[in-house]
Amino acid sequence: MFLLEVKHLDVGFKTKLGTVEAVNDVSFHIDKGEIFGFIGESGSGKSVIGMSLLRLLPRNALVKGSAIFEGTDLLAAGEEEMQRLRGKEIAFIPQNPSDSLNPLMKNGQQISEVFEAKGHGRKEAKDLALKVMKRLLIRDPRLSADRYPHQLSGGMKQRLLTGISLSLQPRLVIADEPTKGLDSITRRSSIEFYQGLEGKKDRSMLLITHDLDLAYEICDRLAVLYAGEIVEMGPAKKLLDDPLHPYTQGLINSLPKNGLVPLEGSSPSLLDLPRGCFFSERCRSCISDCIKSHPKLAQNGGWMKRCILP
Amino acid sequence: MHSPLIEVDALSKQFGRLQVLDGASFSIDRGETLGMFGTSGSGKTTVGKCLVLLERPDSGRIVFEGRDLLKLKKKELSRTRPRLQMIFQNPVTSLNPKMRAIDSISEPMVIHRKISKEQILQEVDRLIARVGLRPEHLARYPQQLSGGEIQRAVLARIISLQPSFVVADEPTSMLDASVQAQILRLMMKIQEDTGLAYLFISHDIDVLRAVSDRIAYIENGSIKKIETNREKRSWARS
Amino acid sequence: MIMKFVDMFFSAKRASPISSGQVKWSSYQRIFSNRMVSICLIMLAVIAVIALFAPQIAPYNPNDIDLKSSLQPPSSSHLLGTDHLGRDVLSRLLYGAATSFTISTSVVLLALFMGIALGGAAGYMGGLADEVISRVIDLFLSFPSMIFALAIVGALGSSVFNLILALALVHWASYARLMRGQVLSVKSNDYVSSARVIGASDRRILVKHILPNALAPVIVLAALDMGHVILSAAALSFLGLGIPPSIPEWGSMLNAGKEFMRTAPYLTIFPGMAITMTVVLFSLLGDGFQEVLDPESEVSGLVSS
Repeated sequence: MFLLEVKHLDVGFKTKLGTVEAVNDVSFHIDKGEIFGFIGESGSGKSVIGMSLLRLLPRNALVKGSAIFEGTDLLAAGEEEMQRLRGKEIAFIPQNPSDSLNPLMKNGQQISEVFEAKGHGRKEAKDLALKVMKRLLIRDPRLSADRYPHQLSGGMKQRLLTGISLSLQPRLVIADEPTKGLDSITRRSSIEFYQGLEGKKDRSMLLITHDLDLAYEICDRLAVLYAGEIVEMGPAKKLLDDPLHPYTQGLINSLPKNGLVPLEGSSPSLLDLPRGCFFSERCRSCISDCIKSHPKLAQNGGWMKRCILP
Repeated sequence: MHSPLIEVDALSKQFGRLQVLDGASFSIDRGETLGMFGTSGSGKTTVGKCLVLLERPDSGRIVFEGRDLLKLKKKELSRTRPRLQMIFQNPVTSLNPKMRAIDSISEPMVIHRKISKEQILQEVDRLIARVGLRPEHLARYPQQLSGGEIQRAVLARIISLQPSFVVADEPTSMLDASVQAQILRLMMKIQEDTGLAYLFISHDIDVLRAVSDRIAYIENGSIKKIETNREKRSWARS
Repeated sequence: MIMKFVDMFFSAKRASPISSGQVKWSSYQRIFSNRMVSICLIMLAVIAVIALFAPQIAPYNPNDIDLKSSLQPPSSSHLLGTDHLGRDVLSRLLYGAATSFTISTSVVLLALFMGIALGGAAGYMGGLADEVISRVIDLFLSFPSMIFALAIVGALGSSVFNLILALALVHWASYARLMRGQVLSVKSNDYVSSARVIGASDRRILVKHILPNALAPVIVLAALDMGHVILSAAALSFLGLGIPPSIPEWGSMLNAGKEFMRTAPYLTIFPGMAITMTVVLFSLLGDGFQEVLDPESEVSGLVSS
C-alpha cells in the first residue's frame, strides 16, 4: 500500500488566451519513508503538482485524475477533509520563507504555537520548540527563539519553516524549492541539513526542486518533468549519473561543472503543445517518428523513460 | 608597459553604521573576466555599483583607462560613462515594463549617438541578431518575454554603447540551468568579439569557475584573495 | 456624432487583442478592452454629453419660476414634476449634471496636478524637500475632510470657484502621498538604475521611466475619487454652503427638496438617484481601471470618505 498514489493527474488553467496545459497525465507513487523528487525547470509544472495535491490552486484550474493518500482521494475530498489533512497529515513548505512566517511573531513562538495547538501546556511547548530549533541546527537556539524572522538569514528562515512543518509530525511533507535563492554555501549546509533529518524512516517527502545537487543527495527516486509531463522516472543517483532521456542529458550537460553545454531553444508554449514529443523541437536525436506520435512512458533500461529512441 | 583597464584602490563605504566596503582593492585587465565570489552581505553588489558610479564610495580610487573616475568633471564623466556598463540580476525588473523591447534596446543610441532613425533601426537589427533575438521579440513588452530573452535584450542594449567594461551582477542566477548556459555562452562570445572585460559577481562558485580568468573572494567588504582559475572553459566556437 | 463615439468603443472591444491572441498592447491601451471600463465609460460619456447639451435638451429654463405650477408631481408637461418655485425638475437635473461634472472634474484635475507635482517631487528628490513636503502632506491629511472643506468655504464665501478650491485642497494630499510612495518604489527598480548607467538625463529618467510606472495607481485613485467629490460637493450644497441656490446642482436640489419629502418625494428621489448612479459608475470605472493598470495594489483604502 503506497502512502500516496497519483494517477493521471492533469491540470489546466483557463485563461483569456486559452487553456494552459500545466500538468499532463502525471502518474507516480510515494512509498512510506521515501523521499521522492520532481525536478524540472520553470514552466515544467512541478510546483503545480504540489499545489494540486493540497488543493491550493486558483479558481480557474481544471483538475483531473486521482491522488489517493491513505485511502482518501485528495482531489475529490471536501474542503473540511482537506483542512483536516493540511498541516497535520500533509505538511507544505512553500517557496518563499519570508512570505510564510509571521513577521510580528518571535521565532520560538512560531514553533511553540504548533505544540500548544496540539494540546501541550505553554511551558512544555516552549521547551519542545527549543528542542526542535536545536535539532534544526539553528545557531544559538535560545537567542534566535527570542528574535524575529527578519533577523534570520534566508537559509535559517527556511529551516525555521521546515521546523514548524515537521513539528506537526505529518505523514507526508511537500517541500517546494527549499534551496531557491540561497547562495552556494548556504545551499550546501541546507543539503546536509535535509540529509540529517531524524526520523526519516517514518516521514515521507515529496521534494520539488530545480536544484540537481539537492535532488541527487537526498532523493530516493525522482521524476524529471518537461512541459508538464514526466519524461524520465527512476532511482535518483543512477538516473542523474547516467540519464537516458535526451532532455535530462541536456539538462545535466548544461550545468557549469559539466561544461555549460547549452540546450538550444526553449520549452514549448503550454497553450499550444505539439502533438508529437514535446521535446522534439530541441532534441538532437529527433527523427520523424518523434514528431508524428506522442511517446509513452515505458520501462527502458533500468527505469522509465518517455522516448522512442533506445 | 602593462596597465590594467581598471584599478580599484582601497574602496570604502558605510551605510549608516554598517561598513559595507572596507578597503577593497583589485584590478582588471583588458578583455579579462574577473569573477567575484561572496555571500550576501559581503559587499559584492556594492563594489559593482561603485564601478559604474551608481554608488559613490566614501574613500578610495577607481582608475579607469588611466584616470580616476571619482575625480572626473561632469563633462568628461558623461563621455566616459558609456564605456562602463552593468547587467542586473533580476530579469523581471531589468527593463522598463512600459517600454517595448525595441525602445529599450535603442534607448542608449537615442541618448548618445546623433544618428537618424533609420540608422538606429538598422543597428537594432544587427544587435538582436548578435544576441539571438528575433524581430518578433522587438514589439513585445518585458512581461511577454522570458527571463533569458530579457537578458539577451539587456545585452543588446548594453553593447550598442560599445563598452570596454561590464559589471555582471548575478546575471544568470534567476534563470533556469539550460537558459543559464545559453546566456553565459552568449556573454563569452560577445567578449571574444569585442574584447570587453567583465566583473562577474556571483554566489555560485561553479559558474565562476566556468567563466572566470581569475576569481576574487570578497568578505566583509574587502578582498581576501585572488586566484587564477585554471578550470575556465575554452569558448571555441562550436 | 454620439454614434461614432459609441461605435469606437464597441469596435475597440471587438478587436480586443486578448481575444485575437496578440497580447501586444500596453496597459494604458488595454484599458479599453476591459468590459467593465467600456460600459462605464460609455454610460458616463452619455451623461456627460447630456450635460453638455443640457441647454438644447432641457424642456424649460431651469430658473424659470412659475409659482402657479409649483409642487406638481410628474406629468406630461413636466416629466419629473416641479419644485416649490415651479421650476421644472427635469431641466434642473440636466443642468445640474453639467454643474456636478464641471465641479468634480475641476477638483480632481486640480488635486491630481498638485498631488503629482508635490508628491512626485518629494519622492524623486528626497532629502530636505521630501521632509518638508511630507510634513505638509501629513498636515493636510490630518484634518477631517468635511469640516476642513466647510471651514474653507465658510471663510471664503459661497461660490463655485471657492467650492472647487476647497474640495481640491481637501483631496490633493491623498494623491500626493500615493504618488510619493509610488515614485520611491519605482526609483528602486533596476531599470531606473540601468537608465542612469547608460547615461540618461534626470529629466529623461523622470519622464520616461518613473512617471509612466508610478502613475497607474494614481489614475485609479482619480477615477474612484470622482464619485466621492460629487458626493462631497452635493453634501456641501445640501448644507447650504458651496453653490448659490440659483445654480442647479444635485446636492442643493436635495437640500431644497428635503422639506417636501412627504408631499413631494420626487423632489429628492430624482437628484438622489442621479447622484447615486454617477458615483457608482465612477466607482466601477475605478475598479475596472485597477484591474487593468494595477492589479496588485490596495488603492481603495486610500480614498478619503
